[in-house]
Amino acid sequence: MPEVAQGILEKIDDYRWRLPKTYKPGMRVPGIIYADEKLLKDIRHDKALEQVANVAFLPGIVNVSLAMPDIHWGYGFSIGGVAATDIEQGGVISPAGVGYDINCGVRMLKTNLQYEDIKGKIKDLVYALFSDIPSGVGSKGDIRVSQQEEKEILVKGAKWAVEKGYGVREDLECTEEYGAIAGADPDGVSERAYERGKAQSGTLGSGNHFLEVQVIDQLYDQELSDAFGLDLGQVMVMIHSGSRGFGYQICDDYTRSMVHCLKKYNINVPDRQLASAPVNSPEGKAYLGAMRCAANYAWANRQCLMHLTRKVFEKIFVCSWQKMGMELIYDVAHNIAKLEKYNIGGKEKNLCVHRKGATRAFGPNHPALPQKYKKTGQPVIIPGDMGRNSYLLVGTKKAEEETFGSTCHGAGRLKSRTEATRSINLNTLLKELEAKGITVKASGRGTIVEEAPQAYKDVNEVVDVVHNAGISKRVARMRPVGVIKG
Amino acid sequence: MKNYEFLEHTADIGIRLKAKGLNELFKNAAMAMFEIAAERKFEIRNSKFEKIIIKQKAENLEELFINWLNELLSLSSAKELIFTDFKINKLSETALEATAIGENIADYKVNTEIKAATYHELKIEKIDSEWQVQVIFDV
Repeated sequence: MPEVAQGILEKIDDYRWRLPKTYKPGMRVPGIIYADEKLLKDIRHDKALEQVANVAFLPGIVNVSLAMPDIHWGYGFSIGGVAATDIEQGGVISPAGVGYDINCGVRMLKTNLQYEDIKGKIKDLVYALFSDIPSGVGSKGDIRVSQQEEKEILVKGAKWAVEKGYGVREDLECTEEYGAIAGADPDGVSERAYERGKAQSGTLGSGNHFLEVQVIDQLYDQELSDAFGLDLGQVMVMIHSGSRGFGYQICDDYTRSMVHCLKKYNINVPDRQLASAPVNSPEGKAYLGAMRCAANYAWANRQCLMHLTRKVFEKIFVCSWQKMGMELIYDVAHNIAKLEKYNIGGKEKNLCVHRKGATRAFGPNHPALPQKYKKTGQPVIIPGDMGRNSYLLVGTKKAEEETFGSTCHGAGRLKSRTEATRSINLNTLLKELEAKGITVKASGRGTIVEEAPQAYKDVNEVVDVVHNAGISKRVARMRPVGVIKG
Repeated sequence: MKNYEFLEHTADIGIRLKAKGLNELFKNAAMAMFEIAAERKFEIRNSKFEKIIIKQKAENLEELFINWLNELLSLSSAKELIFTDFKINKLSETALEATAIGENIADYKVNTEIKAATYHELKIEKIDSEWQVQVIFDV
């Protein structure tokens, strides 16, 4: 594919590039891409920059259409795109700025185990996790609920799970929005969505979703590491999943209706997938209420997945999860739209912040943070690919000032699934992973190849950019030792 | 036999296919979508067929096409079926009536979870006497 925007991007500094408004007539604001020279080279090879420009068309967009260093080509928004719209100025909300997998996100829990403690049992652990945690396309869980109870999940989110005994109150404090975003409206959810959602609570799903057992291999900041209680060699668990079929259906239902809003509200966008409506319109409010239901469904789901994980650890190590110190560090959403307040040109404004493959990254003392993280800033969890690293970062004040409190969300895809399948040999890959001490179990053999490390950018490079640009700060780096894939 | 070609897309799956008429285009696109999603575990069909009538309305052809595919994905997930054949009963630029024939998903190995068909870079064109469509699926 020819390089996009060659000679048009303006270098602001080593980590920021401006896509000027003149790039495409109709852009209301410029784009800013967070990347270094090397990552930018990859970014230019697909249509992600074109999508940064398209998002700049959205009515009410404030200041800039942003792209994080893990940006890649999506549909409507790029993956790794951030845009905020001014609600009072007719700012719109777009289901494409959230995605089909509403509140796809990550949570990370720590243990007080060291790698040496689990080394001989990793295979048992991975196989038990794989057998006890439902995964794969359309996977169904043992946690079955009636429609009435499903409605309760949509409002209470992770709190519903904790009330059921799947976790403890302290888990909620360590979840974005305390595990339940307010304003969820179960009446805005279609029958079909209920039908698709009823059997999928406590299921991992497929594709890039995973559960990993990881070991800390690098610490960057003594004070922050101590605050989170982290040490080299410590065993951690990371869970990546979302709202499953329930969220897809909400996105589909509202994209269908919002396509008609483009004409109704005179919204001019170059891609119909950017279907949107003013946040304050009946259609905008209805989507927001339904999207929040899916967000809460996802938080309940990840809470259930963590509960199942704790149970497996108890079985394998014959010890209670409390004794193994399996506390949740944090849970973040990386596909979501949120109403947040920002100071824009000296005035406090109510904005609708779309984070499509981007993570909230609030700095120290932000009112949304629980007491225990007021000093550190919000924990930001960045999963990498299955062969390299993942990170724990914290948010910064600078992110609040520059990126509507947002940062990257992962490594970002480099190769298409078809290209990965064509060029990567499964047996060679499994041998390579085994040589690195990584045990992998997946529902589909195809998934392992599609999700191979070579198909992704190097997460270390992505994190270097957000750290050096100051929109988050490195705390710890993990390497995987056990991987469960859908 | 494969009646479509893949388009390169970094994160998702895009396909292009041709057909003699619009009916065939809608049918073949649906066939291709489920062929990408799943394959039968056994040579012989085990389960009974299930027939579902699908009615869709839209403001234009593009919207009708996307609604058709997304309705099939949604039904496939909700009813736990893989659709393997389609009969387009009525089709205009703004309305469709079709029969989808599905089999129990348990008889299938699902390779790719397709979340949705998207409008992004969607093109439906008539080139000479043939219809051509390109569509990108969110996977």
